[in-house]
Amino acid sequence: MNYSALTGVVSIIVGLVYSIQAYTLPRAVIGKPMAPIIFPLGLGLFMILLGIVLVIQSIKKGEFARGKSTTEKGLSYTAKLIIFTCTTSIIYALLFERIGFVFSTTLFLGSLLYAINGKKEWKVNVSVAVIFSVFVYVLFSKLLGIILPPIPYLYI
Amino acid sequence: MESLIYLIQGFMIALTPANLMWVTLGGVLGTVIGMLPGLGPATGVAVLLPLTFTMGPTAALITMCGVYYGAMFGGSRSSILINTPGDGAAIAATFDGYPMTLNGRAETALAISGIASFIGGLLATVAIVFVAVPVARFGLKFGSAEYFVLMVFALSATASMSKGNMIKGFISLIIGLMVATVGIDAQSGVHRFTFGIMELQGGIDFLVVIIAMYALGEVFGTFQIIKEGKRKMQTKFGKIWITKEDWKRCIWPILRSAPIGFFVGTLPGAGGTMASLMAYNNEKQLSKNPEDFGKGEIVGLAAPESANNASSVGALIPMLTLGIPGSGTTAVMMGALLMLGLQPGPMLFQQHPDVAWGLIASMFIGNFILALINIPMAGLLVRLLAIPPRILYPVVMALAFVGTYSITHTAVSFYILVIFGLVGYFMHKAKVPTAPLILAVIVGDKMEQSFRQALTISNGSVEIFYRSNVSKTLILLTILSILYPIIQDKLKKRKAAMAN
Repeated sequence: MNYSALTGVVSIIVGLVYSIQAYTLPRAVIGKPMAPIIFPLGLGLFMILLGIVLVIQSIKKGEFARGKSTTEKGLSYTAKLIIFTCTTSIIYALLFERIGFVFSTTLFLGSLLYAINGKKEWKVNVSVAVIFSVFVYVLFSKLLGIILPPIPYLYI
Repeated sequence: MESLIYLIQGFMIALTPANLMWVTLGGVLGTVIGMLPGLGPATGVAVLLPLTFTMGPTAALITMCGVYYGAMFGGSRSSILINTPGDGAAIAATFDGYPMTLNGRAETALAISGIASFIGGLLATVAIVFVAVPVARFGLKFGSAEYFVLMVFALSATASMSKGNMIKGFISLIIGLMVATVGIDAQSGVHRFTFGIMELQGGIDFLVVIIAMYALGEVFGTFQIIKEGKRKMQTKFGKIWITKEDWKRCIWPILRSAPIGFFVGTLPGAGGTMASLMAYNNEKQLSKNPEDFGKGEIVGLAAPESANNASSVGALIPMLTLGIPGSGTTAVMMGALLMLGLQPGPMLFQQHPDVAWGLIASMFIGNFILALINIPMAGLLVRLLAIPPRILYPVVMALAFVGTYSITHTAVSFYILVIFGLVGYFMHKAKVPTAPLILAVIVGDKMEQSFRQALTISNGSVEIFYRSNVSKTLILLTILSILYPIIQDKLKKRKAAMAN
């Protein structure tokens, strides 16, 4: 399946799940009971329709049965980097409020730079990560008045 | 006349030293983001939005204007110097801009791009002064039913005009509307698609979606560029200016392209990419030596640059006066306004004339400042392009997270950020346009509310949606906007068949 056909199939599935979810939503107590449901239900059904059209289009073009045009061995560089970034982001989300903005951001940005900029430039990576975190913290918390999680116990 | 008085007042508000400093700062930061390959004005505004949270509405808007203009000027810098457009609208600048650099005329290219952008932006801003109020007055006549149909038109035009497959444009649109339905329903109090997660009760913040799709999704897409390594770039420049002869050749194309850009910009879905390509093709057809285009013809750079800036100003008209953004970038600007508690639309000019006109005045000022930054100081600024993207992209990503936290004040939104970043990346991969989704997320809630209000008024009869003449015209336009690409496609195929 190529990306177009895949998009079609995904749309049908999303449309189906969404429509069922919409239909089983609790009915409204105030006003007409179906009022909060009609619009989402319409969206879901329209989505299914669009998915079907897209699949039919790609069947007509003969793309549906054809295999992926590019078969890559293992994960590509981009895919690896994206998986790494997402995992780091989730760890970042878990640490953010626990160990404070400055430490968590230094770690987060440091690991991204490690992955993207490379190990060799670790001096640059460390300095960019530290300077960015401290600079943004001072700028936001002290100058702009947007409170970011402080360093635990110290509350600076 | 009334408009002019307001405009003068707007200038008085915008021209304080503090505001001038903000617009300059916004302009410089916007230029830096705009210069990064793959990142355009939408990303610039989305990522830098948190900077303005504690400012007053006027100062915030002025800063955002600086960012908006800066990112557009910046986008063409990288087109000209390293053949990598910052966003779609800067693509046309690579056609002749990069060949000029290869021919050793980088200074002239940078200068004419700055000058053309300045003139295009200036003319379009003058036009906005006269057009905005009449359009807003017209918008006041709209009831819920007309509003709903107008939104249907704006959204479907954006979906059908987006490059490639129209069906994919609509899929993107529906995903956006689906995202907008998450949260507690304002009219009935029913929890919709919250899955028992407390943070979802207030809905998914559209700014988080925007930051995710633009900042994260686009950066994911550039990982391949990063791998390919750094491109060599000219870093030493002579005097950045143009000769009299160049000026004489370019002035008419610049003046001609501005109205094209402005008009295309006001249409929903068309935007800067289409405007600049139209201006480029137009000049190529008018030229005595069309074969020079693509080889470093200065007119081929001046025309699209003028059209591009004019269109991005024109695109603000439907957003400011009707509350309906016509492009991803204006959707982000609208997000900025909503964040400040201002609802763009016909009432904005009545209830907050100071803000509306302050914004228009700051567009004039922003244009001047950016021309000042980008022409004499271009040599200095473009040195930033020599900083490897391998360092800049991670920093942009970190900024996306900081921005998200300052909007939502909870790290839970980081998960939403990652999810939509991935959605954005896969949409790029599958060639599904992202602009319809962004637009839908922003107007979705209002669209559903007007739909239901209209039905309540009419007691459930759908006739209300095509009763008035305004609605009828809008429905006709919607059908035309959907049919136009199909017919155009058929004609192209027929032409190709004839040629064979």
